[in-house]
Amino acid sequence: MKRRRSLFIHLSYIRILAKKFAIVILFLSAFVLMLLNKTENVLVEKTSSVATDMLSPLVDVLVVPARFFAGIYDYFGEIKEVYKDNQQLREENRKLLNMYDRMKVLEVENKLLANLLNYEIPPEAQYMTARIIAEEGDAFSHSVIAYTGETDQVKKGQVVLSDRGLVGRIDSVGHMYSKILLLTDINSRIPVMVEKTRVRGILAGDNTSVPKMVFIPLDAEIKVGDRIVTSGVAGVFPAGLPVGRVTSVEKKNVTVKPYSNLDGLEYVRIVNYGLKGIIEDE
Amino acid sequence: MNKLQPINDRSVIQEEVTENVKNSFQRLIPLCSSLLLLCFSCIPFELTFFDYARSAVGLVCVYYWLIHRPDIFNLFSVYILGLIADVLSAVPMGVNIFTYLVLYLLLLNLGRFFNGKPFVVTWYGFAILSLLTIFCKWLMVSIYYGQFLPFVQIVFGYFFCVAAYPILSLLNAFVQNYLIQDEV
Repeated sequence: MKRRRSLFIHLSYIRILAKKFAIVILFLSAFVLMLLNKTENVLVEKTSSVATDMLSPLVDVLVVPARFFAGIYDYFGEIKEVYKDNQQLREENRKLLNMYDRMKVLEVENKLLANLLNYEIPPEAQYMTARIIAEEGDAFSHSVIAYTGETDQVKKGQVVLSDRGLVGRIDSVGHMYSKILLLTDINSRIPVMVEKTRVRGILAGDNTSVPKMVFIPLDAEIKVGDRIVTSGVAGVFPAGLPVGRVTSVEKKNVTVKPYSNLDGLEYVRIVNYGLKGIIEDE
Repeated sequence: MNKLQPINDRSVIQEEVTENVKNSFQRLIPLCSSLLLLCFSCIPFELTFFDYARSAVGLVCVYYWLIHRPDIFNLFSVYILGLIADVLSAVPMGVNIFTYLVLYLLLLNLGRFFNGKPFVVTWYGFAILSLLTIFCKWLMVSIYYGQFLPFVQIVFGYFFCVAAYPILSLLNAFVQNYLIQDEV
């Protein structure tokens, strides 16, 4: 009886202490989470993926009515543009058909030359289209959530493209949803080069809309308007993917405006190039 | 007369149970409505200013409910909301929890100055406390990455955050007035 009573006193004492120091405990737990995140703990990543999987359907449900109303507004706004677009598309189609014929000839020529040189052709990329259901971009981070996951063979590190160019890479994969780290995020580092001069550098996101190109040789010739493409170094991104255009060149500061409209992504292409450059989760 | 007595007792118990369940649900309304707003803020819109106002949602919800109903929006709710904000965003896990806890701590000591005051006073209060909170978040994330985040973006974010307060507090006021009973 005495033992039971003392146990009860102990428990109530612990409860009072926990209540008193609850805020300290919760602050500590936040710091522990940050530390675990810094060490790229697999458990935290997995838990985060599962939690994203659980929350994303809720956002997905909210997207439907929001998109419906936005769609009505856009419909009336765009109806004027249809005629003009149609004319432009006809012209573009004519040019593309010409280019297609030319490309076919070049493809055959390329194959013949590759055979001649005994060149090993890299494996063909596998594409997958995914809908963006949630956006998270503010001064602290830039990411989006796409409706695709492990079930669709999406893996961490795969390249994400829009119709205009590079968007980013897969950051974490849940069962049905995946988080995409945009190339403007502070965590993003992409090996790139200037298309014309082949000057290499790293495109480093800084949570602004214009990431910076760093680690450029001092004597490098870079001009405003130069096209920036991926260099293929490190083996995460294949070479030649369009990234953006140089918008300003200062002493040690080259800023690049991405081709993709990262504020208004609706659909993205997730590409599996079969490259093994990124460290995979255990 | 004696036979009727147990039936009456049962109905009283049933009423009590129903009332308790109803009260428990009502206590969850601030957290659920904040969560809903947080998810709504993640909907992709092609509006650049919306990106800046996005981080305001969680801060306004925490501030509003801690000022107006601290009895049903407690420390635990703040923690859960922070955790969910962390999951939805790409900031390091724990940063939003830390931010909301800072706001909670500030309101714990200064909340009495804004409680029951006119709307403009609470708005000023939010402007001051959110400035401190966003600064703490900026400092924490900068320490985490080992480099300072662009300050201009943070300042823009702060102004949009303050500007978004009336709209977001109006939504929360709607929830408070129409969905939550005073005696909960």
